Amino acid sequence: MNWDRRAFVKFAVGAVVGLHASPLIPKLMDDSAIWTQNWSWVPNPEDGGLAFANTVNPATGTGVRVRLIKGRMMGERIIRVEGNPEHPLSQGGVVPADASAVQLLYNDEVRVAAPLVRDKKTGMYREITWQQALDMVGGKLAELAKAGKAHTVVALGDEADSIHGQILSRFMAAYGSPNLAFAPRADDTLALAAWALTGQTDVGFDLMNASYVVSFGTPLLEGFGAPVAVRKAFVEWKKSKGALVQVEPRVSVTASQAGTFLACKPGTEALVALGMAAVMAEQGLADESATSAYGYAEFKAALAKDYNPKKVAELSGVPADKIVAVAKAFAKSPKAVAVCGPGPGGDPGRLADFMAVMALNGLKGNLGKPGGVAARKPLGLKALGEPANVDKPRLDGGKKGMKPANALALAQAALAGQPYKAGMVLVAGGNPAYAGPQAGVMSEFLSSAPFVVAITPLLDETAALADLVLPGTTFLEGWTDCRSSYGSPVSSYGLARPLVKPYAQAKTVGDALLALAAKLGGAVAGALPFASVEEALKAQTAPLGDLAELAKKSYFVQDKPAYGPFAFKTPSGKLEFHSQNLAALTGKNSDGAALPHWEKPAALAHGDGHALAMAAVPSLRSATGFQPLTPHMLKVLDGNTLRHKDELVVEINPKTAAEMHLAEDSMIVVTSAVGSVDARVHLYAGAAPGMVFMPTGLGHGAVSDAYTLGKGGNFYRVAEAAADSLSGLPTWGLTRVTVTKRG
Amino acid sequence: MTTHEHGQEKRSKADWLLFVVGFILASALGFWLTPTILYAQKAQPFQFSHKLHLGEVGDEGCKACHPFRKDGSFAGIPGVEKCKECHSDDTLGDKPEEKVFVEQYVKKGKEVPWLVYAKQPSCVFFSHAAHAENAGIECTQCHGDHGKTETLRTYEYNRLSTYSRDIWGKSLMGLGSPPNRMKMDSCADCHRENGVRDACFVCHK
Repeated sequence: MNWDRRAFVKFAVGAVVGLHASPLIPKLMDDSAIWTQNWSWVPNPEDGGLAFANTVNPATGTGVRVRLIKGRMMGERIIRVEGNPEHPLSQGGVVPADASAVQLLYNDEVRVAAPLVRDKKTGMYREITWQQALDMVGGKLAELAKAGKAHTVVALGDEADSIHGQILSRFMAAYGSPNLAFAPRADDTLALAAWALTGQTDVGFDLMNASYVVSFGTPLLEGFGAPVAVRKAFVEWKKSKGALVQVEPRVSVTASQAGTFLACKPGTEALVALGMAAVMAEQGLADESATSAYGYAEFKAALAKDYNPKKVAELSGVPADKIVAVAKAFAKSPKAVAVCGPGPGGDPGRLADFMAVMALNGLKGNLGKPGGVAARKPLGLKALGEPANVDKPRLDGGKKGMKPANALALAQAALAGQPYKAGMVLVAGGNPAYAGPQAGVMSEFLSSAPFVVAITPLLDETAALADLVLPGTTFLEGWTDCRSSYGSPVSSYGLARPLVKPYAQAKTVGDALLALAAKLGGAVAGALPFASVEEALKAQTAPLGDLAELAKKSYFVQDKPAYGPFAFKTPSGKLEFHSQNLAALTGKNSDGAALPHWEKPAALAHGDGHALAMAAVPSLRSATGFQPLTPHMLKVLDGNTLRHKDELVVEINPKTAAEMHLAEDSMIVVTSAVGSVDARVHLYAGAAPGMVFMPTGLGHGAVSDAYTLGKGGNFYRVAEAAADSLSGLPTWGLTRVTVTKRG
Repeated sequence: MTTHEHGQEKRSKADWLLFVVGFILASALGFWLTPTILYAQKAQPFQFSHKLHLGEVGDEGCKACHPFRKDGSFAGIPGVEKCKECHSDDTLGDKPEEKVFVEQYVKKGKEVPWLVYAKQPSCVFFSHAAHAENAGIECTQCHGDHGKTETLRTYEYNRLSTYSRDIWGKSLMGLGSPPNRMKMDSCADCHRENGVRDACFVCHK
């Protein structure tokens, strides 16, 4: 036996066969397959006892049921958010924002765990203690107050009515700054429109009991009010064979469910409403209560002159005969209602548009009637009290105490230093650097302000610009509340309590402000005599009973709309088509300025022939405004939205695209006066010619998690916000954009 | 006859012995190497005598400390709260392990990070109620005579899958060893033998 090549080969083959006969290879292969079960992103909740708790998601108004598991080592953790079948409005349903809320709660990649100081040069964060953070903010505030510059502090909040919003309002007033703005909401515009015509501010649409609904661009099924409640009601309403007319420039989800779709040119929805009003007034179809209303004759004359169907048809593109037919059907239907707002993309809408729709309801005489416009019953809550007036000029030139302030105007004035620069910015909830209004200006404002404090649960775009980031909470881990949702005919109150311990060192916005108030002492501490948000809520909800009981139930909902004669709170004591309230507010009483009227949107008023009008595409599968995008949302997005992996897809009418030499999937840049975003073209015949429709909620930058980072582009970077001529609120319903090819 | 043919004729059959030697050596190496590279060991936080405790709890047996919750689910390893039903802040005996337990866990209100020998992967749904209560299977059938042990054996886990070695079983060939294997095949075999469905979704929800 020689040890030669052949012998070696025999030995080697024997060894290979022998190794395969041992468990080494099959076992390693088996375990490698099993290894895939334990990838770090595979959720692996600890085994433990199950518990359920009800709460409300204030961002969506949905009543949810939370599934908790109490593990031996990790303690109580939330494993699932599902619908609460007992909630009278949402009835067990959820939207993606509710179902995926847990993804934000336990997202170590983006949650702020402790107070962080950011080095402006390197952008690096350094952890400090809450005590150090409060000393730092308290010190700055005390320093500014001592120098007589308390009024230069700007605060940006999320929801004005929430307990945190109220605490922020009282904090700012007591500290001595009038510069406080909240996220602009359509609720404010609707309240103003209702107030202008009726003197009431808290109204809703009784869609459920209406047999004929005309919606003026309202995304009824894509983010109107509490979306789950609206969808549930819509399913029931459909069974009653009610008719829906949708007036808008895009075949949206709502339009697809409507019996009649009136495709109008961009920004002319309310013009169609006035056209219908003109038909009703002309043909004697207006209700008696309307013909005897204040300023009816003047309104009727204006309608005949400026809004006759022929003229409206010319401007809106909706054929005159269709306007007449819908107006007649609306007037003759026993229970008809016209609905307005909110605009897609969270746009608060234009007051003149809302007034036009409210006037149409006034002509129909449906105020306070079943299936009409309902005045919501007051909730009976004991509000924390009106904040004190601050005797200093507001940055945006707003009148003392006039609500609401325009966040964009505050930022623009502070940037210009007119009348003064901001001494400090406090962002108490929300993400203005991402969602604006006008994200570019808000980012510039935050970057240039001398000291920015952001209270936020996530390392978002705003946190990336803040000097000090304080860890905030989500609705699952801290006390918070919400009021009646937009458009709902019944008033409701939602209460969320901490279901698990707050993430790391997180505190609610209110608790952080209360701690800061205690630190500052004096008038600020005096205005906020609560040890915690829970205590403030106890005081607020006292008329509704025990807080603990209410929190366990998590909601209070008025059982049915309050029908009956409408209590007009106008100077004339009746419905006013010529609004004396509005005239007093704007100082304009002549030339029809106080009448419901239509103004050509600024986005359409100028620009060359190649420019297009851009509007948002609302979707419940994505996020709107301050709502953060969750990884789950990316999975349920419409197939077209991110068709090219990470690129945003915008909709353009095929004819418009052909004129611009664009085809399906063309790579383009959408540019407005304020920003630009890269996108791909999707040809959609349901999009009005001359328009670009862009999805919202995408395009998160620097500090998002690995799933949402860089997916699509940010609509709010391109959307140009302009102050509404009547309400002063920023609106971004339409933006003039140019589209150029790239690549 | 060419040189080549001549060389071939001279080779003895004994060459094949080298094949056998290679086979035996490599497979022995495989058997020796597999557990060494695949399994790691961890010590339990401190020693614990099941025998001692089982003697103390009387007729209730395993369920005294490993009960079913009110909702019917199995509570598994007891938390410190459960232990505190007997163990207060003072030690009951003179064992050093008990001192560690009382000092480091009971007094500090900390849970003991026990390593669970029979922990199934999270993709497996296993109901103790269905097996131990409804089917009347004895705990020992799957867990072995754990209750009779005076010490806790060293916990071994698979470096790749991170699961306890008890799931695969002590035998590398998957032949089973006490305690019984807890692999999917073992579950499926028993289900088939007893006429219970063995479809995927029965355990993988």
